[in-house]
Amino acid sequence: MASLSNLKEIPSLSSPTSAGQRYNYISELDQYPIINLKNELINPSANRITIGHSFIPVETESVPKRISRTFFDGGFWESLAEARSEKTREQAPLISKTADSIAYLLDLYNKIKLKVFPHTQQLSAERIAQYAETRDWINSSVRYIAWHVHLFKLAVAGVDDVVRIYGRTTDNNAGMGHVLKSPTQSQITCMAWRPLCAFELVVGCSQGLCFWIIDNNLHLGRTINPSHTLKHPDNLPISSLKWNKDGTLLASSSIGDRAILIWHPDSKRMKPLKRLGPPGSLLSWSPGNEWIFAATVDRVFRVWKCHDKWTSDRWVCDGGNVQATCWSPCGRFLLFVNTADPILYRLQFVQLHLMTSKSDDREVMPVADLNACSLDSINHTLIGGTAQQLAWDPHGKYIVITFKSTNSIAIFRTYIQKYDLQISGGYYLNGQSLSEYPSFICFQPLNKDNDCSVLTIGWSSGRIQFYALD
Amino acid sequence: MTGAAITTCKLLLFGRCVRAVLLSVGVQFLLLTVFLLLVNFQLLHPLNWIMGSLRLVCSFYTWFACIPLLGAIVFYGMALSHQHLAERRYCPTRYRWLLHNGPRKLLFLLAHAVVGYLTAWLYTGYLHSDYRHFIYKSYGQDFVNSYHIFLLGMGLCAGGYYFASEYIQEEISIDFDFAEQSRPEKLRELLYATLLKAPISSVMPTICYTLVFWLFGSFLRHRLSILLHVDTDDRLLGIIDVISNGRLLFYAWLLGAQIVSNMHLMRCFYATMLSERLPMVVGRNRASVPSEQELTIVAGLGVFNVHVVQCLAANFLFQEAQRNTSSVRTEIFQLTEPGNHPANWRALCDQCVSIVGGFTDELNDSMRQIPLDQPIHSDASTALLAEKMLLRQYNQLHGIRPVVSPTYMDAPNREWDAKGTDSIRHVPNWCERTSSKLEKSMQQLLHRIPGIVYFFYEPEGAKTEFLIENALPVIWLTQALAHICVASIKEDSYGVVQDDLPTIIKALHRLKCDLDRLANGMPNLRTNSNNFNHLRYAVRRSLYNICTSFYKYLGDLSSTGEELRQLQTFVYQG
Repeated sequence: MASLSNLKEIPSLSSPTSAGQRYNYISELDQYPIINLKNELINPSANRITIGHSFIPVETESVPKRISRTFFDGGFWESLAEARSEKTREQAPLISKTADSIAYLLDLYNKIKLKVFPHTQQLSAERIAQYAETRDWINSSVRYIAWHVHLFKLAVAGVDDVVRIYGRTTDNNAGMGHVLKSPTQSQITCMAWRPLCAFELVVGCSQGLCFWIIDNNLHLGRTINPSHTLKHPDNLPISSLKWNKDGTLLASSSIGDRAILIWHPDSKRMKPLKRLGPPGSLLSWSPGNEWIFAATVDRVFRVWKCHDKWTSDRWVCDGGNVQATCWSPCGRFLLFVNTADPILYRLQFVQLHLMTSKSDDREVMPVADLNACSLDSINHTLIGGTAQQLAWDPHGKYIVITFKSTNSIAIFRTYIQKYDLQISGGYYLNGQSLSEYPSFICFQPLNKDNDCSVLTIGWSSGRIQFYALD
Repeated sequence: MTGAAITTCKLLLFGRCVRAVLLSVGVQFLLLTVFLLLVNFQLLHPLNWIMGSLRLVCSFYTWFACIPLLGAIVFYGMALSHQHLAERRYCPTRYRWLLHNGPRKLLFLLAHAVVGYLTAWLYTGYLHSDYRHFIYKSYGQDFVNSYHIFLLGMGLCAGGYYFASEYIQEEISIDFDFAEQSRPEKLRELLYATLLKAPISSVMPTICYTLVFWLFGSFLRHRLSILLHVDTDDRLLGIIDVISNGRLLFYAWLLGAQIVSNMHLMRCFYATMLSERLPMVVGRNRASVPSEQELTIVAGLGVFNVHVVQCLAANFLFQEAQRNTSSVRTEIFQLTEPGNHPANWRALCDQCVSIVGGFTDELNDSMRQIPLDQPIHSDASTALLAEKMLLRQYNQLHGIRPVVSPTYMDAPNREWDAKGTDSIRHVPNWCERTSSKLEKSMQQLLHRIPGIVYFFYEPEGAKTEFLIENALPVIWLTQALAHICVASIKEDSYGVVQDDLPTIIKALHRLKCDLDRLANGMPNLRTNSNNFNHLRYAVRRSLYNICTSFYKYLGDLSSTGEELRQLQTFVYQG
């Protein structure tokens, strides 16, 4: 079993441009855009101005008038909070005591309701962050990165609920493209470009699925809205989404719903795949469209057979829940990690023995020990622990792992054979400073314009780094 | 298409329809059980309640009383089969539509009414004695039972309501599952969804029927009493009598829910059975006996008069084409022995290209009748055209005139003057002018007669909408063709596909251009119709799939420089 103890520092080749941004050099990387999201982020608090902020409150306003005005400005809960505020408590103690009683009763009602219907619990940002692939999803500048399958287009979702599209840098263009922003798009958890289409991006957020048609002919600066939005039937936030290979079907899951939803966006139809068990958290479609890996918020995970009447195999982890997963480019192997133990597991989809049913051959095997160890004796920098995210390079040579509590990135070498997968130690990669950690990682897909494995890292500082692996 | 293929299709579909009828018959007993459990509910004696209800279902009375309803179900099933398997013909005017579909729709309405009535008749037999009999005795006199009439009427009304809401205008269609699950799972989900939805969907018809019964109930009872030589009772005379009778309303609502869910289930059973994957072969095996049930994909695609078969063949090809490993695809790329000819691919490609080409031609013809907003270049993007349209509207709003004056070609009333610059200008004489004016005024007069335009004129864009509604085989075929072409890079060892690539690209590109033109010219169609979006994006994706996979060779594969430029732009900008 491979381990982190024998990792070497990744060879840093000289970088001709933008010092500190790129450690290695291939000529194509010159055309990659220089992105630092910290400079571009729109201040989220300044962004959301309510009507109440536009007016200066009148000091001589009576308490009932103030509460009624708050009610019309901000709704019931705001007015209740106003009635319980310190100012009201001083001016009209009777009103604030009544408000306290109402709040107590409502709280009691909510508690009873949650006991009877636990699934109606509102999904807070903390709960979403618990199962998101992005490290420190709530505060991270970079919330998600998605590469276009066929073209040089990179979508980066920021903490300000804005998606920025970047293209290749040219002499007269720094690579910055459209900025996708809409009130119907908040708390972005996932994104994906539609395969076999040049301009369609779908964003999974708390309002559902926002479909953007990004056309080069649209004028810059004009407010554009999603072409359409598909909501979850129970108005739940989307926690994961994946397109199939042809871009005909879109699978989505939500941490509040047990079913996986399979969407057919062209006809705006949806089919839930229901099974008893905990709600879903993470989805991953195999490269050949044959299986969908579906993790849940508990120990259970399932592998759905798409070409076999959408039946599923059920698996149970030893503890925790599946945190991250990735398919090998050939689609025969799947690697995953859970939140309970720092071990990389393998699930293979190859029939080893004749005359046995397919499910008999599948077993979960540990392939790498990710227990934390020290990288150097001077700084005592640690690498390892519970894994945060996995990414397999499109050539199938490297698997990249980020961790929940340590800041370095581990890169293992992988050797894919017909019936076997071998993993051996590789490299580690650090940020610019020791405190900088990777928020999100992914690889650029191979296409007619790109034949390199370019690792894309969204660092906690907001900068995006492109790293070409040989 | 051979007669053997038609016979095979008929046999296969007949078998499926029979299975759907059997399921429909089976579900009657399930629905009856649900009804009895709800009607005979006893909170304090649950065992008695369940045993009593089940005993009633299993009793001889039920089995005998069910016979008329089951007969009606078979009749309904036949009518439904006829609806599904009938040829879809385009009717340009409403009059033609009435002539073609009127008798079939009337027969189907009758089937609904009969099933609704007989369901109500059967179910009222299990109710309280006040509701059970058509005529009851009181003080030695016979009376027509208003409660019973009310419930029977509810049965008829529910049947009629379902027909009106689902079938009266629209052609029956099958929603093919994009994520097809096993049959038991599908049926289970269908049953749950229907039984959960029906109670809500039957509220409105119950309220409407109650109001109608209040208005016309007295008249109906009076006519019935004269017909049967009995007296009318004084129940349900006013609206208060009707709405204050909770039990009657509950029964009516329950009956409505049962009938509506029954009909919905029957419809879905047919759709489920007919949309199941049809086993097909690529080429007929020479060793097989001619009478054997073996349907080739090409033969299936050639059944133009049964839409379902064409859809099933196209779906089969699409499913096989998109698999990672497919024996069907291997067979398509194989050469036939003896002769080493790519007969399988040849037949399949010719059939697919001819269907796609035929559809494009028809679409093009139908679009000529629509006055599209502006002449649109096929490669121009939607957004750019939307910009132009907005600009034009802005100019018109603010009175900004175009620098170039509009050409005479745009003016509709100058037809006689715009016959071409080369020909000699023809000025009509007084006789021609008078006759054309007379013709015009006669037309205007005709248009003013109510119903003439409605019944005898073709609505704008009707043919286009008809084509798009029935474009499911084209949607699957284009995608299947694209997948096969892309798979040929790795799997086609004899290079059977490469010669046809230019033809396929040209056919798809032509269709894509026409659909783009339609999308830009008819914004309403673009935004409203899911079928149109489905078709348009499927064609675009198919073309994109081929173009990205063969990007290096696009120069060799496109016939003209303009086409090449458009395809290259399409790959990068969509």
